[in-house]
Amino acid sequence: MRLHKKGSTLQMIAIGWLLLVASVGLLAPWLPLPFPPDSVDLNNIAQSPFLPPSDVKPSRHWLGTDGYGRDVLTALVYGARTALLVSLPAAFAATVLGTFLGSTAGFWGNSGFHIPIVYWLITSLLFLGAVGLASDFPPLWWTLLLGLVAVTVISKPLMRIPMLRLSWPLPIDRLVLGAASLLASVPRLVLILALAAVQDSSLIGLFLLLTFTYWPEPAHLVRAELLRVRALPYIESARAIGLSGGQILWRHALPNAWRTVRTAFPLSLSDLIGLETTLSFLGVGLPSGMPSWGRTLAAARLDPTAWWLIIFPALALAGTTLALRQLTANRITA
Amino acid sequence: MRRLIWGLSLYILIGFLPACNPQASPSDAVRVRWVRDPESLNPLIIPNDLANQAIGLLYQNLLTVDNQKQVWVPWLAEKLPIVQHQDSLTLLTYRLRNAAKWDNGQPIVAQDVAFTLKLMNSPGLPNEAARTRFSFIQDVRLDSADARQFTLVCRGRAPEYVHDSGDYPILPEYVLDPKRQLRTIPLTVLTQPALVSLSQYPVLADFVRRYNAANLDKSPMNLPGSGPYQLTAWRSGQALTFRRKTNWWADQLPVQQPPLLAVPKQIDFQIIPDNATALLALRRGDIDVYPMVPANEFDRLRTSENGKQALRFYTADSYEMVLAGFNTSRAPLNDRLTRQALNHLFNIPALIKATQNGMAYPSVGLINPQEKALYNDSLPLLTFAPQQAEVLLSQAGWARQGAGGWTRPTAGGQTQALELSITYRAGDATFETIALQLRNAAAQIGIPIQLRPTESTLLLSKLRAGDFDVYLRTLSGNPFAYDFSPILHSASIDISNFTRFGTPTSDKLIKAIVREENPARKAQLLRKFQVIMRTESPIVVLFVYRYRLAADRRLTNLRVSGLRPGYDVTTIEPLPES
Amino acid sequence: MGRFLLYRLLRTIPATWAIVSIVFLLSRTLPTDDLLGQALIDKSVGSRSITAAEREATLLRVQQRLGLAGPVFYFSRIHSTAGTVWQWNGTDNQYHRWLSNAVKGDLGQSYRSGQPVTAVLGEALWFTLPLTTSAALLATLLSVILALWLVCGGPAFLLSILYGIDALPLFVVALGLMLLLANPDIIPLFPAYGMGQQTTENTPWNVQISSYLYYSALPLASLILVKLPSLVVQLHDALRHELGANYANTARAKGLSAYQVATRHALRNAMLPIIVLLTDLLPALVAGAVVVEVIFALPGMGRLLADAAAAHDFPVLVGGVLLVAMMRLLGLVVADMLYFLTDPRIRLQA
Repeated sequence: MRLHKKGSTLQMIAIGWLLLVASVGLLAPWLPLPFPPDSVDLNNIAQSPFLPPSDVKPSRHWLGTDGYGRDVLTALVYGARTALLVSLPAAFAATVLGTFLGSTAGFWGNSGFHIPIVYWLITSLLFLGAVGLASDFPPLWWTLLLGLVAVTVISKPLMRIPMLRLSWPLPIDRLVLGAASLLASVPRLVLILALAAVQDSSLIGLFLLLTFTYWPEPAHLVRAELLRVRALPYIESARAIGLSGGQILWRHALPNAWRTVRTAFPLSLSDLIGLETTLSFLGVGLPSGMPSWGRTLAAARLDPTAWWLIIFPALALAGTTLALRQLTANRITA
Repeated sequence: MRRLIWGLSLYILIGFLPACNPQASPSDAVRVRWVRDPESLNPLIIPNDLANQAIGLLYQNLLTVDNQKQVWVPWLAEKLPIVQHQDSLTLLTYRLRNAAKWDNGQPIVAQDVAFTLKLMNSPGLPNEAARTRFSFIQDVRLDSADARQFTLVCRGRAPEYVHDSGDYPILPEYVLDPKRQLRTIPLTVLTQPALVSLSQYPVLADFVRRYNAANLDKSPMNLPGSGPYQLTAWRSGQALTFRRKTNWWADQLPVQQPPLLAVPKQIDFQIIPDNATALLALRRGDIDVYPMVPANEFDRLRTSENGKQALRFYTADSYEMVLAGFNTSRAPLNDRLTRQALNHLFNIPALIKATQNGMAYPSVGLINPQEKALYNDSLPLLTFAPQQAEVLLSQAGWARQGAGGWTRPTAGGQTQALELSITYRAGDATFETIALQLRNAAAQIGIPIQLRPTESTLLLSKLRAGDFDVYLRTLSGNPFAYDFSPILHSASIDISNFTRFGTPTSDKLIKAIVREENPARKAQLLRKFQVIMRTESPIVVLFVYRYRLAADRRLTNLRVSGLRPGYDVTTIEPLPES
Repeated sequence: MGRFLLYRLLRTIPATWAIVSIVFLLSRTLPTDDLLGQALIDKSVGSRSITAAEREATLLRVQQRLGLAGPVFYFSRIHSTAGTVWQWNGTDNQYHRWLSNAVKGDLGQSYRSGQPVTAVLGEALWFTLPLTTSAALLATLLSVILALWLVCGGPAFLLSILYGIDALPLFVVALGLMLLLANPDIIPLFPAYGMGQQTTENTPWNVQISSYLYYSALPLASLILVKLPSLVVQLHDALRHELGANYANTARAKGLSAYQVATRHALRNAMLPIIVLLTDLLPALVAGAVVVEVIFALPGMGRLLADAAAAHDFPVLVGGVLLVAMMRLLGLVVADMLYFLTDPRIRLQA
């Protein structure tokens, strides 16, 4: 009983902190901050926190400034906004993508998903054509789209031919696992650094980069869960009454994996916040001018004596991560 | 289990033991901080400043720069070359020092110079940059009477040939070509522009194979040079150790002075990429010399108690400048009034104070203020004046839309908005601060500026392709050469003239400066050049660095200077222990 | 067993080949002109200018020397006035040359240092392997000790501390350790960078080891601290689960102490998931730790690959990827083998 109470207090604290971070991040532009984000106070470089305001300016750097003269409090507030803007959508997208790929891989395995030969033939023809025409027809996507529409229209009558009605299995499991191990064959940070070196840093780019490199984690979790669910008797009975694979997966199997997804999401979010700050610390990813907790921490390397550049962002980071994990911990025990 | 715990504690104990007695370093070594690995010490490549410094310990050029006096001085050569002109050719006659010898005792002769030039032009060797840089040397004529005398035949004429022609390390023929087979191939065959096929010259192909097999990138000891030091250890990414030769040829000279002076018995270059880490190392006494200290750390050290006790601090006015360049071929910046307006948005004094703690100085243009005779001091320094910028903008045809941005009509009847981006190398604190300051100042008067920090490899291709509005970069000058055609002549667009600037007047003036040999007339032309550059403003020099160096108090005679590397490692002398 | 392993190994080879081929082809499609021409852009004012023709000629020479001239793959598409035509290039292409050299163990030369890639990778590995391996071993050892302690009545706040550390990314931990324990202003206990000065020849082995430990103490500590929490928590949970099982009750009924039950009976079973987890570590051991190597200025594999990526030094990057991919697939095979050994009921789709 006592333990439960303690757990719920922690839960309240965690939710409170997350709400604080989220609201501060969302409302950042309307908060009464003494300094605008990324403004440089060239007169107060690396000022320590809690100092009285200087004579020249009435406003105060409550948490000090970094080596460029940027206000640390402002950087923390806008860093929360960045975490919301980058890590949250990326975690969401990675979870959705991972759940989709992981569930199909786990549910159908290597032999469960059959595709009629017609589709195989048409898709490969279309693919070859697309590769060949890639340079001559710039609106390639439109061509592809039209092609797909054509396929669905044509394939129905073609299915009447018996030989074409045979189907080959699509090894989804092998494909998904292969893609995941392809991504894992390059260490994630090296992969991201390599990709960042060839493209400009932008929010969209960072979002895609994080999603693209992180989806295998939720995918593995969901796949394992669906491997378990697939073998349950009620799925067998659903098959027996003749429901299609897609219906079973969507209506019956996935809801069972829902809990895994819900626990995986806060973990993904905390991992991605860690990844984003690490990237900012190494100086890649975020477009310049976007404050991030990692950037403030990186500024600490210029001033080894500036403890306030480490303590405050590290606290914010650790608090957020711990709060997210607390959510997960209670989900598991609940 | 218990055994495991014991083993573990022992392991940890062993780890802690040396922490109590830090290792004593050899006292006759000078330990210098390097920011990164030189990557290759191949004398044909010389990829960076650090490699250049190291190769200067192993090999010697014909001529070198006395950094402190800022003049060219003879090194392996007896004196500066004698210049003659013959039609369109320049003939430079050198003579090598009588005392100069290789490690095996053989004298250094003109054949070694000819051998070196053949190496610099042979196909299949990593010599492309050297070959391009010294492409003006077409042939070498050896003196039949004097084995140490030779004449370099150079295409065209330029005052810079005098020193440029002697600025490459001379390599020993006896090591790589003991049978003297390369002597059968004349230099003119290799210097011709068309690519020579190796299959035509089996002797050369054989030699190229030998050279590449010697792996000079990492093992320059396979090719012992005439310099005072030899490389004894190179732990990649960590440290390089150079040991003084016991019998170096210049020790026999009656008077020993730079550049033929080598005092330290051993030089260790410690590679520490991170500034904070390097500072810690200096304060712990792990390194003795820390060149190019970041400004705020330099000031903090200078005022700290233990810094004052243990260290000595030096500064020197350098020739290395930070400049902003405008893309003069793109719409918003293709008229000079807009560019001039932007000039007034850089708060140069505040930037000097913020990024360099005041340890930098402004300049009106590309000519360094130290060069009193050439610097145009009648031009005023740029001031931070947003109001004046607004005035200039409206003169350029821009109109501000209420409190919003600036627009102007174009010839085609459309309106054009004044929105800019600024591109610079990512991860550089100075550039970052400058860009932030410019953005703040521009935002105040309604010009949105986007920051575009870019990886250095990507940066170069963007600059060359003209894919930017404003760039920030550093450029080092020197007190010897004034050829501005690479960065400002219209013929260098798409190569190294990133601003894509070039008017008929400026092109003509740049070429006239290069050709002019009379110092007074050259000074006049250069003053005119500075005025034109101010009006046209394709680039604006923000400030020139003051090099900062911190060194252990017991070291003297560092010969600190404003030319890279900023000090002379071979002359450093430890004070006698008192 | 033997046939099963052989089959798995045979299946991993095409996968490795595919991964590395993709990375190689991708890297060759990126423009390298500016990288190779970097030496030609002089950063100093006042030097001679070069003409466009000179630049072209020089780039051509560099490409020829580095084997970058000619077609990239067996076939290529040629744009001409008559439209695009596919062309067969035969075996005289960059990919074929690279692959046949790679099979012989020659991965080409680094663009930056001109060194053979194998030598560059070897040097970095020689440094990285001891660091990451000892970090993994020490973390496992410590986690076993801590988990046992916790099970046998160790203080519960230890878990909270571990949770706290786990909430911080590696770079914060490493940065904190360095600025705390290698700072003359606070506690100057450890060196802040690199691997020491003394030459490795003719020093006794114990001095070498102790100096190695002295210099790698902080990087090791940060790697261990980051890995420790998840290991301890996992092991602790597994141990508690095992101690609740019937056989543990029997053992206790026999009169064994809690410590004895844990070490003699439960630990073995609880370790199984950890052992399998460790196989995932194999590629991580080789790949090094970018963050720690950057902060402590260590010349390891992670920094090498990150630098190579930033500088577009593709031969090194491709070589590194090949190495890590091989390690990863080896790790998978080892994991399969461990599954096979620990639980013969598992018959994978062999």
